[in-house]
Amino acid sequence: MTITQKPIRLSFLRTLFGERVSRTVGAVLILLVVLGCIFVPIFSSHDPSDLVAPPMQAPSWAHPFGTDVVGRDVFVRTFAGGRIDLFAALIVVGFNATFGTLLGTAAGSSTHRAFDSVVMRIIDAILAVPMVVLLLAVVMVVGSTNAWGPLPAGLPGAMIAMMLIGWAFYARLSRGQALVYRESDFVVASRIAGLSQWRIVTKHIFPGVGRLSLSNAIGDLVASVVLLASLPFLGAGVQPPAPEWGSIMYEGRGFLQQAWWITMCPGIILALTGLGLSFLADSFLDSREAGK
Amino acid sequence: MGTRALRRIASRVGQSLVTVFVVCTLVFAMIRLIPGDPVLQILGNEASPESIKALRSQLHLDGSLLQQYGSYLSDLLHGNLGASLIQRGRPVSEIISSSVTSTLTIALFGLLLGVLVGMIAGIWGAVTRRKVVNVGVQAFSILAYATPTFLFALLLVLVVALMWGLLPAGGWPGGFVQSLPYAILPAIALGVNLAPKFLRPVRQEAIDVQDTLFMEAAISRGLPRRKLNLSHVLPNSLLPLVTLVGISLGGLLTNAVIVEAVFGIPGLGSELSKAVAQRDYPVIQGITLLMSVTVIVGNLLAETMYQFVDPRARVQ
Repeated sequence: MTITQKPIRLSFLRTLFGERVSRTVGAVLILLVVLGCIFVPIFSSHDPSDLVAPPMQAPSWAHPFGTDVVGRDVFVRTFAGGRIDLFAALIVVGFNATFGTLLGTAAGSSTHRAFDSVVMRIIDAILAVPMVVLLLAVVMVVGSTNAWGPLPAGLPGAMIAMMLIGWAFYARLSRGQALVYRESDFVVASRIAGLSQWRIVTKHIFPGVGRLSLSNAIGDLVASVVLLASLPFLGAGVQPPAPEWGSIMYEGRGFLQQAWWITMCPGIILALTGLGLSFLADSFLDSREAGK
Repeated sequence: MGTRALRRIASRVGQSLVTVFVVCTLVFAMIRLIPGDPVLQILGNEASPESIKALRSQLHLDGSLLQQYGSYLSDLLHGNLGASLIQRGRPVSEIISSSVTSTLTIALFGLLLGVLVGMIAGIWGAVTRRKVVNVGVQAFSILAYATPTFLFALLLVLVVALMWGLLPAGGWPGGFVQSLPYAILPAIALGVNLAPKFLRPVRQEAIDVQDTLFMEAAISRGLPRRKLNLSHVLPNSLLPLVTLVGISLGGLLTNAVIVEAVFGIPGLGSELSKAVAQRDYPVIQGITLLMSVTVIVGNLLAETMYQFVDPRARVQ
């Protein structure tokens, strides 16, 4: 593949005001959203599913994001929904990055070529199928309406689907990076020095591969939140009445003209989260690995 | 073209065939992995034994697993995708052919827009000395990446269609010319989401090219900057686009399905999500296979094309 796999730094804030401003703005945005998700549902006098006011009331002091089609508070629902989106994204990305990086490193640095080929064919097959098709297939198999413990209906299926697919991206990236390291001077030197294969992989190859995956994972959080919120538009994802960014917006999409706030207010919070994470991801990139 | 390049293409074709086969097998396994008896799930518990038997044979769920797999593959090879369970036995191929036009129209226009925007903005941002342009390109790229397609699509509906009344908010009248105004907003939503994926590598390539020896040589020969950009930077930075278009097809189809839902366009995506909601297995099978094969063939074409456009790829 001739495409530069390395992540590219694109924070315009860094170009304008420098690294520190970019990182701080990213961190503050994320902190605000996370604090909102923790405290708004706790201190709010009503539940996300309570009917608090007449339907489709415009934003006001009592209800900063207005009320939805049946009269629930969109502000409380947005931040309660953020809990679901951010939690799911963390779990999914955490699993994908860990599993994919370990498997990719193992395949890339393995001395058994057969193992490498098998892993690569599986990755190819997963990446060759359009994401939407695999997602819907897995959601159908797992069931789109199951609720497990505190997880609302639809979330377990969506999370499992994202985990079955997502690791392949990390595995491919890590395998490529491990192949590069395997031929690099310091690894060849340690092989000549008589270090064991295990020690070479764990001490010399894995740290570099892991750092690349980590910087990738922060950017991937954005993609995972976006994907989870897109699922209701595909007929899957978190089922109402549970509040989730995507399902709130999906419910409000038919009422754009009468009540734009039902879709746009959670949308703005979602976009700000994505923006903050992108700034953070940018500042986590190693400037030696990243492009200009 | 050397024999080595031909051999590589042949091996890629072989790999793609294997992937198509794996996908077909996955789709076959999908229905059998669903918990419970899919036939009873479709027909309900009070169905007559005759209709259960008929559906079972239609879905190839009778006979041993190996027999089922055999008849499934032979049906596929004969181009027989089966018939819908919900839509009164309408053939799947007919459902696909009647819904594919709208999806194809918005996807192709979206791809075209994404490539154009990504290419122009990527190269412009790399060669410019004006900070405003550079920052603008970066800001567009990071914003378009962080905003979900459906949110941007909803924003377009709200502002362009509902508030300004410039374009229709959704629907699809059918007929190519009449449908064009209905394709503009969906195509913009798809293109804006796609553009950063092209923009980033193109921009990086355009920056890397400027550090090469042949650029240095061209600069010292006194070539004017405009000519330099046109004859050296442009062709080299377009190289990644060839492969990128192939790779991005899967994401494009996923987003086309989402955008169809936002704009209420009857297309492949709406047929797919309708079929998923109603458990219409033959339709899911058909559309799944069509989309997967499109992506696999797109990737294959992109990689083969690459051998032609970049001489370096042929000798490596």
